[in-house]
Parts: sequence; structure tokens; C-alpha cells
Amino acid sequence: MHYSELLDDPDFQRLLSRRSRLRWSLSTLLIAAYLSYGLAGIYSPGILARPFLGSAITWSLLLGYGIILLGIACSIFYVWQVNRIIAPLQQRLAREYR
Amino acid sequence: MTSSINLTAVWVFAAFVLASLLVTYWAARRTRSAGDFYTAGSKITDLQNGLALAGDFMSAATFLGLTGLAFIGGVDALLFAIGGTVGWAVILFIFADRLRNLGRYTFADVVAFRLHPERLRVLAAVGTLIVGIPYLIAQMVGAGGLFRALFDLPYGLAVVIVGTLMTIYVAFGGMLATTWVQVIKAVLLLSGGSALGILALVPFGFDFSEMFARAAAIHPFGENILAPGGLYNDPISVVSLALAFIGGTAGLPHILMRFFTVPDARQARKSIGYAVVFIGYFMGLTVIIGFAAIVLLAGETQYVDESGRIAGGANMTAVYLARQVGGDAFFGFIAAVAFATILAVVSGILLSTSASVAHDLYTRVIRRGQVSDTHEMRVSRIATVVIGAIAIGLSILFRNLNIGVISALVLAIAASVNFPMLILALFWRDLTTRGALVGGTSGLVVVVVLTILSPTIWVDVLGHQRAVFPYAYPTLFSMLVAFAVTIGVSLADRSQRAAIDRDAYPAQLVRSEVGRPI
Repeated sequence: MHYSELLDDPDFQRLLSRRSRLRWSLSTLLIAAYLSYGLAGIYSPGILARPFLGSAITWSLLLGYGIILLGIACSIFYVWQVNRIIAPLQQRLAREYR
Repeated sequence: MTSSINLTAVWVFAAFVLASLLVTYWAARRTRSAGDFYTAGSKITDLQNGLALAGDFMSAATFLGLTGLAFIGGVDALLFAIGGTVGWAVILFIFADRLRNLGRYTFADVVAFRLHPERLRVLAAVGTLIVGIPYLIAQMVGAGGLFRALFDLPYGLAVVIVGTLMTIYVAFGGMLATTWVQVIKAVLLLSGGSALGILALVPFGFDFSEMFARAAAIHPFGENILAPGGLYNDPISVVSLALAFIGGTAGLPHILMRFFTVPDARQARKSIGYAVVFIGYFMGLTVIIGFAAIVLLAGETQYVDESGRIAGGANMTAVYLARQVGGDAFFGFIAAVAFATILAVVSGILLSTSASVAHDLYTRVIRRGQVSDTHEMRVSRIATVVIGAIAIGLSILFRNLNIGVISALVLAIAASVNFPMLILALFWRDLTTRGALVGGTSGLVVVVVLTILSPTIWVDVLGHQRAVFPYAYPTLFSMLVAFAVTIGVSLADRSQRAAIDRDAYPAQLVRSEVGRPI
């Protein structure tokens, strides 16, 4: 199959839309989390300075490490989703593509 | 610092150098083609490449610098750790598959796929060299300073040792040796950092709350080190930092080159997934080590003066803490790992710059691809030796270089030249050759001009009263200018070439998502 035929293949369209939904939603989530954390530290530092459950650990520390864990979790989720849903479509198309 | 030689450091470093030279010998016998030289024949596994990618990013500056930042500024240091993790995750989502599917040796392959090949390769080569060579020099100047602070070794000797070893690794062993050196170092750094973290938490009985409480009780900022504002207090700097981490990392040529060392997009994806896990873990741990150091180094007059400043600069925090909690032997181990780190990182940068000269400029632009494989490989090796020698010379000449300024500048250039060019080439159909060339050039000009006008150069170096450009990081502005100019010029471009560029997008889209035909 020539690439121009592939473009109209429903499987290619499905691959494209699923991938871009995954790609841009996860990117937006992480960048938004990072920026809101950073900007909250500037515009309302008091909230982040509060201790968590009476310990010395502040919300600033807790949320900071939380976003690091979120980044790791999103990456694992992305690789898992692509391998499970997108890779099979991609392999089928690659076999037909010349 | 004592001037007696730390035997553990010497042994660990000697063992690392011996192991890396053996790896180079082994790799040299397996490096027979240009593909072997640039990308290790694309036969690296996902876990190996994940470690190597994480290793490229976790430089000595990251480890030593971030511990020092947490020591000085407290919780704001987490902005760097989050930036590293988020930046790499976004690289995984946006770049991993498409880059692997379109490129072969360098990121220039990707932008030259549908745009005017020779012009874009020249632009990508400029972007590679203008990032790579200053970065190389900044790392080597840092190595020289570190050697001197730790072992009283003469600066010039340290630079020559680092420069010669990196040139040997790359010239003989190519990407295979560079990758293995990076993998060995990443394992050493991850295990050394973990051991330091554990030893530093033992005095607190692994009670984080107690550690943070005691740090706040001792630190001159008091409770404020557990709250934001220790390092940053304006929104522009925070946003610029975020963009530098995402766009800067995704625009570093030696990191982009690693995408091509694995067999296919699936392995590229998994390797970057591994890298995110290693980077998130390591940077998060590093900040904790910095907090522990606040408590554990307090009152130790051989490391900290009365005002709480670290002798020899905040970058020494991690190595002093290693001596404090693990004794001389552990201190020697961490110091040796820090050198191994620098050595591995400079090798990767050197390989990417020589690949750019030999593959993009010489083979593709000057000889238009009419070069035999053996000839191209010989040119790569010559380029490696020449760039290595230039880097040694410049590092000795500019020994007083402000490493922090250069590193920030390099990231800003990567984020304002290479990153916009790549992301628009991959995702925006209307990008044209002219748009990429004009936009990339204006990004570069804006970074350089704003850096000169910023406080770090205009006030600290040139001695003016007030900076014309008040922020430390230009990335937010320069990146926006690069995107805006690239998009504007592309949209206005009615040339014949522009039509070719746009019409070739569907073919590129299929290739980038589906991969090569099988």
C-alpha cells in the first residue's frame, strides 16, 4: 500500500487520533501540574507552607514529590497504553505499507 | 580540604578508567561501519539505553548542583527535580516514536526529511555545535575545578586527562563504547546516590518529618526552607525554568542521538520510560540528600563556616556529606563517581558534535552523500580528535568560565533553536524551509542578546549598574520569538520550495507514526 492509501485507512485514522489524544492529554496534565505548582509557590506561598497532618512535612514538599510520582506514573501508563492499543494497529499497517 | 591522596578515590577511579578502556577496546572491534560508529548499529537494548539516557541527563552538575541548591534554598530545589521528570515524560509522549521512525544517525535526519535537506542540515549542525562545544567546555572546566578541590590536582592536568579519555572512547569505540561508559556510570551514580541517601537518613531513623523539622530548626531561613520562595520569587523565572527543562532537554543533540541507538520505536519508547523512572527517582532523592546535609553538616567547621556557607562552594555539599556519614572510603567512592559522571557526559557530547560535522556537514552537505562508508567513518574519527583537542585547549584558556551561566545559556539555545525546529517539523504541516531557517536564527540571536543584557553578564561581568533585561533566564522570551517567527515566516512563504515542504508532510506523517515498511 502506498502512503497516500494508508492515509485514508480507518486503522491509520484510529491510530492517529488515539495516539494524539494520549500524547497531548498526558503532556498537558503534567505541564499544567508543574506550572501551577511553581506559580502557586509565587502567588500564594502560604497555602503550600502549611504542614501536612501536623508533621513537619509541608504541602510544598508533599505536592512536589507527588508531581514527580505523577510524571513517572503517566510515563508508565503511556508506554503500557501504546504497547497494548496502538502498537498492534501500527504493526498491521507497517506490514501493508511500502 | 586535606591534600593527602584519598586511596579509595584513586582505586575506584582507576577501576572505572580501566573498565572503560577495556569496553572501548571491545567496542572498537565491533565498530565497522558509520552506523556502528554513530548509533552502535541500533542494537542497544531498551534498559541499557534507558540507563544511558538517564546518565546523559544526570551530570555531575545535576547531582552536586541540586544537592547544593536544596542545601541553600530548601524546597524550591524540587522545581528542578519536577522539571527533569516532567520534561522527560513530555519528551516520551511527543518525541520518542516519531523521532525514532524518521531519523537514522542525528536529529538533522528528522528535520531534513521533508524540508530542504542541505539547508536544514546546516542549521541543525549549527544548533548542534553551538550547544555542544560550550557545553563540553563547561563540563571540562567543572571537572578541572572539582579535581583541584578534591585532590589538589593541577587544573590543566585534570582537563587533559578528561579530554584525552573522552577522545579515546569516542574515536575508537564510537557509540557502543560511549553507551557502555554511560551505562556503567549511571549504575555507579544510582547506587552511590542511593547509598548516600540511606546513610544520610539513618541518623533520623528514616523519619522524614523529623529530618525536615530539624533542618528548619538549623537553617538560616528557618521554617521558610520548607515553603516555596527560597530560590525563586518571580513568575517569569519559574515559567522560563519549566520551558528550559522541557524544550532544552528535548533540544540537546547528544540526548536526541540516543533515540537512534535502539532497533525500533517500541524500544525507543520503553527506553525513555526507563529514563523517566531513573531520573525522577534520582533527582527526588538528591533533594532529600540536600536537606539531610543541612542537619548533618551543621557545626562541622571543616565543611561549613559560621554563616552556614559550604567551604569550596555549595557544589561540595554531597561529597562532604559522604565523608561525614560514610568516612573517607565512601567519600572517595562518591568523588570518583563524580569524575566518572563528567567523563561519561562529555563523551556523549563529543560524539554528537563529531557526528554532526562528519555526517551532516561533510557527508550530506559538502559531498552530497557521495562518500563511502569507510571514508565517512574516518572523517568522524578525525572530527572527534580535532573537536576533542579544541575542547581541551579552550577549557585551559577559559578556566575562570562561569559554568552556571554557560550551562543555562546552552539549555536556552537548545530550547530556542533546536526544539521549535523539531516540534514544528514533526507536527505542523505548514512549516517551510524558510520559516525554519529564519525562526531558528532569530531564536539564537534573541538568546545571545538577552543573555548579554541580563544581570549575569551586564552587571556581574560588564560592571553596569542595572541590567537592561531583568531576568536570569531568557528562555521564555527567546522560545516564544523562535516559535512566532518560524510560524509567521512559514505562513507568509509562497515560494516553490514551500509547496514541496508542505506537500511532503503526509508521507512524513505516515512514516513517523507507522515506521519503516516491513
